[in-house]
Parts: sequence; structure tokens; C-alpha cells
Amino acid sequence: MQDITKIRNFSIIAHIDHGKSTLADRILEFTKTIDLRQMKDQIMDSMELERERGISIKAKAIRLLYNGYILNLIDTPGHVDFNYEVSRALAACEGAILIVDATQGIEAQTLANAHLAQTNNLKIIPVVNKIDLPNAQLDVVAEELKHVFKIDPSQIIYTSAKEGTGVEDVVNAVIERIPPPKGDETFPLQALIFDSRYDAYRGVIVFVRIMNGKITAGQKVTMMGTSKEFEVQEVGTFKLDLIPKEALTAGEVGYIIANIKIVADAHVGDTITTVTNPATVALAGYKKVKPMVFCGFYPIEGEQYKSLKEALEKLQLNDAALFYEPETSGALGFGFRCGFLGLLHLEIIQERLEREYGLNLIATAPNVVFKVNKTNGKDILIDSPKDLPSPTEILSIEEPYLKVTIFTLSDFVGGVMQATQDKRGTFLNMEYIDPTRVMLSYEIPLSEVIIDFHDLLKSISKGYASMDYEMIGYRETNLEKLDILINEEIVDALSSIVPREKAFYAGKALVEKLRKVIPRQMFDIPIQAAIGGRVVARETVKAMRKNVLQKCYGGDITRKRKLLEKQKEGKKRMKRVGRVDIPQEAFFSVLKAE
Amino acid sequence: MKIFFNQPFSLYIHIPFCKKKCNYCDFYSFAGRENEIDEYVEKLAKDIKRLPDPALGGIGSIKTIYFGGGTPTLLSASNFNYLLSTFNFQLSSLQIEITTECNPGTVDLEKLKALRKLGINRLSIGAQSFNDEHLKALGRIHTAEDIYNTFKWARKAGFKNIGLDLMFALPNQTVEDWKETLRKAVKLSPEHISTYNLKIEENTPFWEMTKPKTQNPNESTNLLIPNEETELEMYEFAIEYLTTNGYKHYEISNFSKPGKECQHNLTYWRNEEYIGIGDGAKSFDPTHLESNKFILGLRLIEGVDLSKDEIKKYENEINEICELGLAELKNSNLKLTRKGIYLANEVFERFV
Repeated sequence: MQDITKIRNFSIIAHIDHGKSTLADRILEFTKTIDLRQMKDQIMDSMELERERGISIKAKAIRLLYNGYILNLIDTPGHVDFNYEVSRALAACEGAILIVDATQGIEAQTLANAHLAQTNNLKIIPVVNKIDLPNAQLDVVAEELKHVFKIDPSQIIYTSAKEGTGVEDVVNAVIERIPPPKGDETFPLQALIFDSRYDAYRGVIVFVRIMNGKITAGQKVTMMGTSKEFEVQEVGTFKLDLIPKEALTAGEVGYIIANIKIVADAHVGDTITTVTNPATVALAGYKKVKPMVFCGFYPIEGEQYKSLKEALEKLQLNDAALFYEPETSGALGFGFRCGFLGLLHLEIIQERLEREYGLNLIATAPNVVFKVNKTNGKDILIDSPKDLPSPTEILSIEEPYLKVTIFTLSDFVGGVMQATQDKRGTFLNMEYIDPTRVMLSYEIPLSEVIIDFHDLLKSISKGYASMDYEMIGYRETNLEKLDILINEEIVDALSSIVPREKAFYAGKALVEKLRKVIPRQMFDIPIQAAIGGRVVARETVKAMRKNVLQKCYGGDITRKRKLLEKQKEGKKRMKRVGRVDIPQEAFFSVLKAE
Repeated sequence: MKIFFNQPFSLYIHIPFCKKKCNYCDFYSFAGRENEIDEYVEKLAKDIKRLPDPALGGIGSIKTIYFGGGTPTLLSASNFNYLLSTFNFQLSSLQIEITTECNPGTVDLEKLKALRKLGINRLSIGAQSFNDEHLKALGRIHTAEDIYNTFKWARKAGFKNIGLDLMFALPNQTVEDWKETLRKAVKLSPEHISTYNLKIEENTPFWEMTKPKTQNPNESTNLLIPNEETELEMYEFAIEYLTTNGYKHYEISNFSKPGKECQHNLTYWRNEEYIGIGDGAKSFDPTHLESNKFILGLRLIEGVDLSKDEIKKYENEINEICELGLAELKNSNLKLTRKGIYLANEVFERFV
């Protein structure tokens, strides 16, 4: 039996780039959990894409042994798209290390993560990192922590994860300050799923925190959220690999393998209990993750439809938040409407489909889910602009809104306010967290935020702004459908739903952008924007008039063929709509037209 | 050499030496290695001796010989003599077309006389432009004056078949500049004129000059290349002007007085067999025979004659280009329309 008083379950939370992964590496090193040989930089970020983007997408866990204590470090995803997963990972902990960059101070995700930690009643260990940097401002940051989180400055640990300074203090603080888990091994089983991942050989590996009871191989268990039943094959804990164990008991963090085929059957946040002696209530906080952002994926070559379907099936095995269903577009043929947690999630999936599955895709511009109140009294949800009913059937349209929190330097407040206004934001509050830094909060439609709001914010503030957001529900707004006609035909995949006051400019900007990205072809191509059947903007891609290799003699032919092949390949990467070849980027330009 | 020729073939001999590399040139050639010429000629002579038997068999086996470069006229008359005497038959008795490319600034009257005497009966003069500023910008080593002299000497030496190579869409060239060059060329009354649209190739000084500075057209060192519309206007003018002045437009870039088409180059466009010798030279490659027939044959203004099977096999492609107004099929002859000439790559692409 595990001595529960010797267990500490904790996470590290931080704004992106504040040094979370580096500190995690140092802790692994310091506790000799892994030897230096095994030590790759930032070992907990294993997926290639994660490395490239410098973020942890999926939460992971690792078990550290130090001075007779078991320290379970549960990693959390670093992006707001995965907020729910962060909250469930935190629910598996009793404490969290809150890292703040000594040169940056508190940022939006620091605040969001700290709030999540507080909501889960976690003990927070404040750590000010990167103290080795010459522009570190320890006093200012300490003051911010005091002002924003009421943190006593004496509690702060100062570290340089890069140089290893202060790592021992952090580990000791985890043991001394974070309480051991509560829970009773004799109670019915309640295991919180905080992550899961699909393994091609073993099926789904479920990452759990045992809240009460005990789980062993051979037990029949049920998921309380979905009522699905499975037989446990193996349980264990994490080092770099999975280490099988006879049982997991209350307070422990580990994994379960139970012949589960898809991660959607092991929802993050769900509670596992035994079939024979089930818990009466599930753990709080479970919700089915709903996609917030949708777009269409279409294979450029029709033959790839089947491969796309198979690829989506495989990705869904490991990604319960990915949603897809078949969709047909008049312009693009057969494809899928896919749902995502956010724009980053969308981009990651698209990149994986193209990179890992070798697919050549058109992604239509992302959109949110609109709620349409129809004149016949019925309400419908639509996740694709082409499903919008005709204007006469529409009583009103509602769209999802976010509460957005922005941190920036006071110098940029004017610019940020202008930007949020342009994005139809409603001002809520403004607060100085220190003499130079401001926290602003707004209500902004999700559809505006998914486009390029974050980039816009960064550019206005010369990088000195961060944001975080949470869903606050639907609001009625004035929206209209904007159609694009290419060569006199509506291209449904280019339609979008836009605010009425912006429709004209959006249409104008979009046709201009399309004129630039659609290459010249054998004939003039008119490009029009129409609102409610009325054309509001028009551009023309003039016909190509000259494309001829002037020289071609004996030895040239091989080289010339290569040029012609390249030209031909270029066209293959475009989608033929009617008689017009349209490049991939055209479909995404809908969101970047401004 | 693995190819066994059962029909008369053409012979291309590559001379990769140059006094100076031009700013637009990405051919296999190099400057400042003239001291290697004799050695190189020795190697070529060995290659000639190794040509398949029919090549050495006399009349009817070899159709044309073409010295290209580089700058073939960097070879001395005795180098030429050495090479041509390697053939075990009297070239002068063959009556075949023997061309050398000839760069103004590398020949004088005496040398041209000697070349003529050796049996070389056609000159392709790399004039490029009659505008000294443009010549300088191209990195040519000669002036317009040198072109006039070369031409005059060539006639005097007895060359009755002379071609001039010209280039358009040059940096800072106006349509009027181009017209002027064409007028001057026509005034000399050469038998053959080629007009080439300058293309900026990778790994050339021009590429480097255009690449980073296109962002800022106001930079004084920037190369101002005429746009597509201007290029087209220049090309259209060349076709109109030359055809109204007694030249037949017989290939996308080539014009000649009647009967003075370059026989050597026709071999290429008719997809017939040829052997290339010398460094970087390529021989006839039968790999894409059928597809090359279109890509090469359609370069000829008279078009290409197709078999029933070929028409059937490429039915879709042929229909498509005809519907787009790029080509015409009459009986078994497929040829480009004027629009198709301007957009030839769009046609060729379909046959790759």
C-alpha cells in the first residue's frame, strides 16, 4: 500500500515562453528521474509539432522519486484552445508551480492559469524565473504578484531554470507547501481522467488520478459520463515509459490500459469507477468538449477523399475534441466539415493531415457556430455559412461571445482599444496592475477573435500584449451572408457570415485579395462579392497573354520538360472550380482579407 | 554511344569556352580557360572518331553539323581544320549545312575566310542588340560596330547563309529600342533572324541583380525588366515586322528567308536523331518520343502531322487546346494559332 502522505501531485503553469518546459527538465534532472543520457531538451514535449511550435499540446505526467516522496508532475497544455484540458489536469493536483518570467511579468495566460488553479483550490508556489537575464525586474514582478494574486513576497522562489538556480528550493517547496492528496482507498473507485492517448499497439492509454478507491488489472470498470464498460488489462505509473504496477490507489497518478479503441471513449474529465461497487457520484467538472471553430477540409484531388476520411478517423482516435462529418460543396466536391477547439487546434490538424498523411487539402475559412432563430419559431445551429437559411426565414442570428482579457503596457492602451472596437468588442474593465502595465477586459465575438485578433494585438503592442479568453455564451448580432462569385458562379466554399456593418468592406477586401492570389488563366475571370444577391464589389483577373519558352534546341528538351512539369504540378495543387483553377490559399484568404 | 542510327542524323559540337560570361547566360560555358582549348579539341577529335560508323560513311549519313557554345569562334582556324579533317570524308563534297556560332569581337576577315574555306557554310552571329548600352548591360564583349564589321567580313569571306540572334525584353529596353534593333538587323538582310525573349535564369548575374531589389523599383542599380504586356508587344512587333519584310516565321523564335531555315535546328523540332559531342552536350533521347513530338513539333509554325492513333490517344488534350483557341487541327495537321504561340507553354504542358 502506498503511503498517501508521501505523495505530492502538482503541475507547472505559466504563460507561453516563461520557462515551463525548462524548469520541468531541471526538476527531472535534479531528482535524477532520468539520467543525462536520456535527457533530450524539454523531454516532455515529444511530438514533433509541439517542438516546432514550442508548446505542449497534450498533457502528460511523470513520476519523480525524491527523499522518499513520490512527486507526480502533471504537464498541462500551454494554449488557451486547450483550456478545458488544463483545468482537468489541475483537478488531478493539489498544488501548482506558477512561473512568471522575471523580464515579462504577469501575462494573460498567467492570470487564466492561476484562476484555474485557484478554482481547483490548489496551493500555488510562485516562482519568478529567468533571474539570470540582465533585464530581470524582480521587485516589479513581486509587486505584480502581490497586487494581482495577493501573494506574499516571502513565498516567492527565484530561479533560473536555464542555469539550474533555485531548482532545489522549488522541489522542497513542492514537498513542504503542497498538501498530500486526500482520499480513501476503501471507498468505491473514483478515478479522474485528465488525459488519454492512443497507442497503435496497446489501444488507448488513459491517464488518471485516483481520487478514492483502488484499481487493479482484471477489474471491470465503467466511464460514468458515457456508461461504457471496459476490463482493465494493466495499470501503472510513468517514468519515461509506462511502468506496470499491481494497483493504483487513492492519491496516486498513473495510467490504465483497458482495451479502449478510441480516446473519445475515455473523455478527459470523466470519472472511472468499478462495475461491481460503483461510486454514487461522478467527480465534478466533467463536460463533453464542444468544438468552437469549424472549417471544411476538401482533398484537392477527388481520389484522396477516402484517404482523408481514414486520416481523420486515425486522428480522432487520439483527439476526442476533433469533430468531423461528411460535407458536400458545389464548388469543391466531397469533403468534411471539421470542428476544433480553436484556430491553433485547426492548424495543427491541418498540418498533420498534410505532413503525416501526405494529403493535399483545401481548408475553407474557419467559422463559428451560429444560432439562427427562424421565423417559424424554431432555433437551429449552423456550423457552415452555406447552411444559413434564406433571409426571409431568419428572425435573428446569434453568435458566440468571449470574455477576453488583455495584458499590455499602458503605452499601447489606445491601440488596443481601437483594435477591440474594430473587432466589435464591448469594453468591460481596465485595471493598472503596476504603474506601466494594464489589464483590459472586453466582450468580443468569437468570430472576430479566431481570425487574426491575436496577431493584430501583438503587432499593435510590438509584442507587449497577451490575451486569454473564455466563452460567455451567445448574443444576438446583425449578420449577413457574403457570397463570392468566380466566373459568374457562386463558390459556396468562399461564402462567409459577416457583420452587416462590415459586409461591404469585407466583400471589397476579399475580391481584391482573390484577384491577387488567383493566377492568370486563359480567359478573363470576373470575381464578385454579393450580399443578399446584390453584387457589391468586382475585380477581374485578366487573361494570361504570354507564356512561351523562347528557346528550345537539342540538349534543352530535358530541362524544358522539367519546367513544363513544374508548371503542371503547380496547377495540380489548385482546385478546379468550373473552368477556373483556384489555389489553396484563396480559400483561406477569406479570413485574412483585411 | 548506344544509339544506332538508321537514318541520317545531325551532329552538334559544343565549345564551352568564352572570353567572358554574359550576365544572362546559364549555359555550360566558362571564361578564362582558353589555354585548355587545344587539349579540348584533341578530346573532341577522339569523340568524332568514335562516332558510329554511319557517321563516317559519307554522303547521306550525316545531315548537318553545328558548332555551338560558349563561343566556338574562340577556336583558331587550325583548331577547326583539325576537327573537320578528322571526318574520313570530304565535308565540302557533302553539300550539307555546317554552321558555327560566331560572336562579334572574336573574328576578323582572315579567320572568316579560313572557316569558309574549311567548308563551314553558315554563320549564326550572336548580335543580340544594336544598342551599345544594352549590349553592355547584357555583359557582351562587343559593340554594334563590331556586329557591322563581322557581318561585312562574313559576306566578303563568302558566307551566303548568315543568321543573326537578337534578344528582346532587355533591362531598360523600350519597345522603340527593340524596333530600332530589328530595323537595323533587317537592313543587313541576313538569311535568318532569331528573336529571343530574355529570361532571367537562376545562377546568373542577372538573377542576383533582380532578386533582392525587386522590392524597391526606385533603386538605381535595379534591373528594370519590361513587363509581360511589353514583352508581348515586342514579340508581336517582331512577327509583324519580319514577316512583312520577307522573312518567314517558321518556329516560335525563328524567321528566315524562304528555304533558309536552319536545317540543323529543324532536326530538333522534327524530333529526329542527333548526336551531341563535347562537354555538356546531349544526344537524342528517345525516352519521351511521343510527347516530345508535340512539345517540339508544335514549335514549328507549320505544326506537326499526326497519325490517327496519336490523335486518338491525345484526343482530350487536342480538343481542349482547340476549344481554348490555342491550336487548330486540320485533317492530320495540328498547329498553334497566334494566341497559342504566345501561350505555347500552356499547350505543351498538356503533353508532358
